[in-house]
Parts: sequence; C-alpha cells; structure tokens
Amino acid sequence: MTMNNANLSIEQIDALQEIVNIAMGQAGDSLARVLNSFVRLSVPRIRLINSAQASQCIAEIVGDTQQITAVRQSFYNKLCGEALTLFSSEGCRDLATLMGHQTLDTETEKELLFDISNILVGACLNGIAEQLGADLSFSAPSLMASNVVSSQLLSPDTLPWAYALQVEVNFSLEQHKFKSHLIIMLAEDAITALADSLNYFIEAI
Amino acid sequence: MDALPPAVTSLLDFLIDRINIGIFAVNRNMECTLWNRFMESHSGVASASVLCKNLFQFFDELPHKILYHKINSVFILKNFAFTSWEQRPYLFKFRHHRPVTGGVEYMYQDCTFIPLKDPAGEVQQVCVTLIDVTDTAVYQKMMKEAMTSLAEASNRDGLTGIYNRRCIEEVIMKECQRVQRYGGTLSLAFIDLDRFKEINDTYGHLAGDDVLRITSTFLNESLRQIDALGRYGGEEFVAVLPATDIEGAYIVAERLCRRLADIPVHHNEIDIRVTASVGIAEWQPTMSRYEDLIKAADQALYQAKADGRNCVRRGT
Amino acid sequence: MATPVLVVDDSGMSRKLVIKSLPADWNVEIHQASNGQEALALYREGKAHVIFLDLTMPVMDGFEVLEALKREGFNAFVIVISADVQPKAQERVKELGAMAFLKKPVKADEVLHVLKEHGLL
Repeated sequence: MTMNNANLSIEQIDALQEIVNIAMGQAGDSLARVLNSFVRLSVPRIRLINSAQASQCIAEIVGDTQQITAVRQSFYNKLCGEALTLFSSEGCRDLATLMGHQTLDTETEKELLFDISNILVGACLNGIAEQLGADLSFSAPSLMASNVVSSQLLSPDTLPWAYALQVEVNFSLEQHKFKSHLIIMLAEDAITALADSLNYFIEAI
Repeated sequence: MDALPPAVTSLLDFLIDRINIGIFAVNRNMECTLWNRFMESHSGVASASVLCKNLFQFFDELPHKILYHKINSVFILKNFAFTSWEQRPYLFKFRHHRPVTGGVEYMYQDCTFIPLKDPAGEVQQVCVTLIDVTDTAVYQKMMKEAMTSLAEASNRDGLTGIYNRRCIEEVIMKECQRVQRYGGTLSLAFIDLDRFKEINDTYGHLAGDDVLRITSTFLNESLRQIDALGRYGGEEFVAVLPATDIEGAYIVAERLCRRLADIPVHHNEIDIRVTASVGIAEWQPTMSRYEDLIKAADQALYQAKADGRNCVRRGT
Repeated sequence: MATPVLVVDDSGMSRKLVIKSLPADWNVEIHQASNGQEALALYREGKAHVIFLDLTMPVMDGFEVLEALKREGFNAFVIVISADVQPKAQERVKELGAMAFLKKPVKADEVLHVLKEHGLL
C-alpha cells in the first residue's frame, strides 16, 4: 500500500515521521528515567491501514503467536484517536522485577502496566502535539485484553472506521526481555485535522 | 488564552464550585490552590481553611506515598496521571450516597491528575478531578458475583446437584497430574446402580429421578471432604479418592455397597430397593494418562456386573 | 574556500531544518545523504569536513557510520543530531568519536554555540 493515495502527501508524511521521531525520543527518555535503564528505540513506522487489515497488522507488529497484554488510552482535542500499548506476557514479568516487585498480584501488575503505558502515550503524544501547536487531553488507561493471542486483539467486524492512520513505535530495554509496542491510531475523520496541523507546520519551516 | 468576559468567568467559577465532581489543585509545595464545594462537603474541610496549606497536613489518611508519587510525576513528566477504583478504591475516605444498598465502606473514586502549565511550558500546578464511581463499582461487584455463580452452575449436574461429567473428568485429570508430579496414591470408584431401567419401568421416571437424587446425596455424604463425586452417565457415578490406595478404596466401596443395599429409597409411600456395582482402580506409575485410570475402573465395573452385581471388583 | 558540510538524515524535512539552522554567514558547500552508506561515500570523496549526523536511519544507522569513520581515520567533525535524548545515548556517541550532540529539533543558537565552541567559526 502506498501513502500517496491517502489524504496525506509525501511531504506531510515526511514531516509526521520526523515529528514522531522526536516525540518518541522524549518518550524513550521518560521511560529510561523511570526504569533507570537504557531504552532502545525503533524507527517509527507510519502507515495507512483499512479495518480489514487491522488485526493482521497488530499480529505482524508483535508476531502472531505472541501472547500479549494490551492497555488502551484515548486522546482528544485538536488531535483525537486511541493509543494502544502492547506488552508481551513475558515482558510484563520482567518489568515487575525491574520495578523492584518480587511478587505481583494482578491488580498491582495492572497498575504497573497502566503507569508505563501512560508515560509512553503521554510523552509521545504530548511531544507530537507540542510540535504541532496542539494541546491534548487524555483518558485514563484501561485494560483492553490480557494474555490474548495478538491476532485476536481487534475484531474487524466491530471497527467503526474504514481506514485509519497507524503510527507504530517500539521500545525495548538492553539486557532485558521487556519490550513494548506503542500504536497510535487516528480514524479517518481525525486524519483531516492532522493534515491541517501538518500543513501549518510545513509552511512554518 | 484570551481573557474571558466577566460573565463567562463567573459562570466557570460557579460550575467548578457546584459540579458534582471533586476538583482541587496543588502547587509544587503540595499547597492547596483550589478546593471546590464537592471536596468541602465530602471532606468536611472548608476551602478557607485548606487553601495555601499543605494538603497532607489536613488528610493524614491519604495514601501519602502514592499521591505524592502521582502528583510529582505530573510535575516531572508534564503528563496526565490517573488512579482507578479498580486498583485503588479510594484516595480520600469519603462517605458515599448509598448508605443502605452500597455494601462498601467508602466512596469509590476515579482520579485524574492534570498538568497546569505556565506560558513557558513548565508545570506550576496540578489539578485533580475526583469522580464518584461507587455505583459503577457496586454494579461491577454484583456482576462478578453473578458470573461466579454462573460458572459454578455450569459445573453441576442439573438433576443431582453433584459435579457433571465434564467437571469430574477435569478433577480426575488434575488429580492424576498431581500424583504423577508429586507422588502419593489416588483411586477411582465407578458406581453403577443395578437394573436401573427396571426401576424406571416399574415405578416411573419420577421415581427413577428420586432414586438418582437420593442416592447421590447418600454417596456424597458418605465420602470424605477431600473426595469428589460426579455423575458420569445416566445411573453411573464416579468417586475420586485422593490419598487412597486400592485397599482403602475397597473398604470405602464395600461399605457404600452394603449400606446402599440395606437402606431402601423412599418414594411416594413406596420403598424401592437399590443396589450398585462398583469398579475400583488405583493410579499406577505405569499409567501415562488419566484416561488409563478411568479405563481400569470401568473394566472393574464391567467385571462386577458380570459377577452378579451388588459387589465390588478391582481393576488393574 | 567553502567548508564542505554533510547533512545526513533519512528525513528530507529534518535535513531542511538542519540546513536552515546553520549560521547565515558561514561559508559552506552543503551536501546531503539520506542514509549511512551514502554518507560514507560522500565522506570518501572529501565532501564532508563537518558532518551533521542523525542516528536512526534505514540501511546504515548513525552508530555504524561513527564506527566506520573510526576505522577510516576520522577525518571529519561529527555533530550528532538525534531525537534519542537519553543521557546514555549522548555518552555513547561521544565515546564513538562524535564531537557534539544536539537534540532534535535543532535550534539555530545551539548550532552556533557548538560551532564556536569547537573553533569551526
């Protein structure tokens, strides 16, 4: 699939890529400070997906047989959409040890995942919004699914959009199994608002 | 932000004060800068007395560490933070509005911590909103209880109330795995009522149902706490006997057999004589699957039937 | 003579931003590369006295460029420009021979400061 036929031009995509890059760096820095460990960042991937491909895309990002736990959060105001933070089940246990928990009950583990998710989502999206001159609000993180096979996270039949812009960022820690995928999704209507903001940004350069 | 006309500002002030949500704010020294009426009326602390004072000074019941950590993270990361009743039912010990039907002690709360930035982008204050979610929590609790009893119901046989076949097979499987892993003994007893079809034909199906119900209650009461009883088929029961070798199982089965034959089932003024054949088997290290144990007990049951019924046979 | 300056970033937008942030009175001849391999090729042609280098790039990333430059004698001033702002990332690139580290998005006054600090202006 090419981005050219979507509502975003190559120039807009390039700008967005760079904006996400910078935002992700800030998110990585926040995470590194919280976990006291060096965070490895991937090159963010931006693509337009249609709803039929959505679960396949998730499976592709984390590996289809992987068991994952997913936390979701909404953001709204000038940009609106949802952010999913995916954790591998193995990584969750690793995270608990990193944060100094010997044993974990499910509620404490949830709270831990919510905190990490909130840090990544907040830092990344605030970073994007700041560069675009927007100010965002966030909903509380909530558990979307726990220990499910990645391909079952989204059910295509219930998605109320035809296509969405997907921004994917991966965080991992050196010498640890912890790995997390941040997926920011903007449904079709929200892409127009993003395109407007990107135009202002490009004109300002 | 552009200055708002006075009428709007006073409307906003009014809303913040009267809205059915707790709203308060603190600065970097944890001193209160805003305390709305919801907070006043639920905490019993007036805005006039808490403003410009350290929040923790007024509320020593607050989970100091958590709250401090949350507020501090907003200052440092310049990001929203949240607490949810599911992980932490409440921050403030507030009374809720369901004193009669609530069944919980304090108001369940969802809190949002919002950064308030100055023009330079630095966070100077943190605003906290507190929403009463006691109703949601109570409903969710009720739903959870309903789900639990539903799950329990799906494990039970509708007629007799003892475990159904699916559930008792799971028990057998787990017990087999346990002895396989940790050693010890385990026996099974397959109990089949003799000539049950004749009871149905002679006294009717309602009588047959009564026989099954009364027999299963009798069997259940005759077993130990750690044993499990399930209805395996029409008139076939299975008893799982942990920590019991074949000799122990034989004693149990013999006793069940004799007492069952001695005490008739009473149905509509009629005494119905019931006997049972029992096949028992003990878990052997040579067995690899739980089905092997079931098969051994089932074969013993077949032998008991062939040997004239109303008796116990051992399987290998 | 104009100083050959190489700007390496996979994003055209980002290269534009870097070029825009260079001092107006600096006599330079600007070259651009969108990945590490292209950058090394231009370096070998002598078109890179000062290199503004991004770290995360496809094909060959900034760390690999620094390692290759080290093997080849390091005949350039490298200023790493990166979105990865972790203190440890900054330490690492300096260990690999980078002269300075600038955070993205780059600001003109910070570029000026670094160039002056290292006597390039």
